[in-house]
Amino acid sequence: MGQRTTLFLRRELAGSLHARWFLVYSAVFLVGGLLLATFGISNTVVYGYRGFAKAFAGLVHLALMFVPLMALFPAAAAVAEERENGVLEYILAQPVTFSEVYIGKWAGLSMAVLLSLSVGFGVAGAVAVLRGVPAGLILTLYTFVLLLASSFVAVGLCFSTLAKSRARAVTLGIVVWFIFLALGTLGVIVAFVRWGVPEQVLLVWSFVNPIEAFRIGVVSSLDPDLSLLGPIGTSILERLGSRGTVGLALLTLVLWTLLPGVVGLALFKKVR
Amino acid sequence: MIRAHPVTKRFGNVTVLDELSFSAEQGERVAVLGMNGAGKTTLMRCLLGLTEFDGQLEIAGRNVQTEGRDARANIGYVPQRAPYFEGSLFELVEFFSRLRGIETEQAESRLTQLGLSLASHGMKETRELSGGMLQKVLLALALGADVPLLLLDEPTANLDARARRDFIRALGQVSTDTTVLLATHRLTDVEAVADRLLVLHGGRIAFDGRMDELWQSVGADVTLWIRVPPRQRESACNLLQRQWQTSTVLANGAALGIQVERSARAKVLMALHSEAIPVEDFWTEVPSLNDLMERLLGSEAVLDGAETVGGE
Repeated sequence: MGQRTTLFLRRELAGSLHARWFLVYSAVFLVGGLLLATFGISNTVVYGYRGFAKAFAGLVHLALMFVPLMALFPAAAAVAEERENGVLEYILAQPVTFSEVYIGKWAGLSMAVLLSLSVGFGVAGAVAVLRGVPAGLILTLYTFVLLLASSFVAVGLCFSTLAKSRARAVTLGIVVWFIFLALGTLGVIVAFVRWGVPEQVLLVWSFVNPIEAFRIGVVSSLDPDLSLLGPIGTSILERLGSRGTVGLALLTLVLWTLLPGVVGLALFKKVR
Repeated sequence: MIRAHPVTKRFGNVTVLDELSFSAEQGERVAVLGMNGAGKTTLMRCLLGLTEFDGQLEIAGRNVQTEGRDARANIGYVPQRAPYFEGSLFELVEFFSRLRGIETEQAESRLTQLGLSLASHGMKETRELSGGMLQKVLLALALGADVPLLLLDEPTANLDARARRDFIRALGQVSTDTTVLLATHRLTDVEAVADRLLVLHGGRIAFDGRMDELWQSVGADVTLWIRVPPRQRESACNLLQRQWQTSTVLANGAALGIQVERSARAKVLMALHSEAIPVEDFWTEVPSLNDLMERLLGSEAVLDGAETVGGE
């Protein structure tokens, strides 16, 4: 990474660490995770395996609801806000390339979001492990959480480049997040049962939707039969196998990080 | 330093810069004038490579579209309004110094020359600084990089009178080798900084020359106000009417006013002196920039925010 790109990375990271959102997000994830790890697993003695599965599922749902928004909000503001207040124009008037600015911002913001998640998730995960949840399970969840966050940072930054204002970028991000969430499990089941949408279409959609890919990847590490996902889970497993399912879920999230990132960079250079 | 081969910039169907060609040599001080929408800011954005355009623009031999970063390495830029930066003044100076590849001390030394101490203001949040101070900081950052070209996009437009005077005075510290391109609405700024005017109108260059050439081309007279003892007012009035063949001698309280060419002011005073009419006081009222532009471009050319009364 070049010297100027590193400068922008450090600037974005330092700005984020001082920002209120960083503290709030870390705290919310920490408290939520701790509550789930503590109270979820407190039933472990009584219910055995089902106890930490419940806690784990709780952490998964916390991540599903919270991580995309946590990544979207600061990312959607990153370019649009600086464009609105004139900082971006002043920065671009310096001897820098547009790529250096964008990649530096992207990397810095991703690091800030991942750091914020790691603070909250790290403590909650450690407590969960101490209370009997297998470390491998927590590590898998942590990996998927980081990838989910990275993909929504890239999406948010892309919207931030495209939108004329911060408010529009954030709104766009929320709409897309809601569509992905609504057309997740619930949408898939409705489509399958009520409208008879072909199974192949639903399978493709399950892996196109980053939130759904996250859910499938994480659930497969806890429930190798994917029985929690119903008939779609069985179908996925039959076609891809256990490793293939996790691999495709990981690939989906990596692509959702790279593609919006590259598109965002191209737009940033174009929509100057 | 600047070479603009026919540069055209369109936004949809609107042509903002229409085959604009000009050049500016090393050390030239050029003021860019024009009514709202004339293309001043667009020209600045083109020079900085912040917007795409047809044609070719070179800064110090670098094509701004294909060698943007190298071209911008030769430019110090001060925008109309200092943007809102997060963090302290020290962080701001440090970041932009590093970005330009200069030592923070170089920018700090320029700040000190402009009357701002990083030791006393460095820890302040930039949002606590006044607009005038921030504009000086941006000027110091531009000067610290020791660049051959300064682009100033109406840098005094949002400053109060004192901050504006300070900023213009600070521009006096710019090396004579540095080319300055100043977009402005203020005649006082033009006269203090520029030795050449570039008037944009409808995306084209409507005038390119020195200030005195502009006065000549529009035939704009100034009003010379003279105060003489009351008992000699009548003879002074007669003399002025006779010698300058004008029936109109203005009166403003105890002062008489006559509209003459800018270069003829000394002759008027000498004529009064030779007739033993003592001049107690005199001053000149110049047409506003708005008036000059109206005469140059036609009555529809009104500069947004331009001074309405000029004086010297």
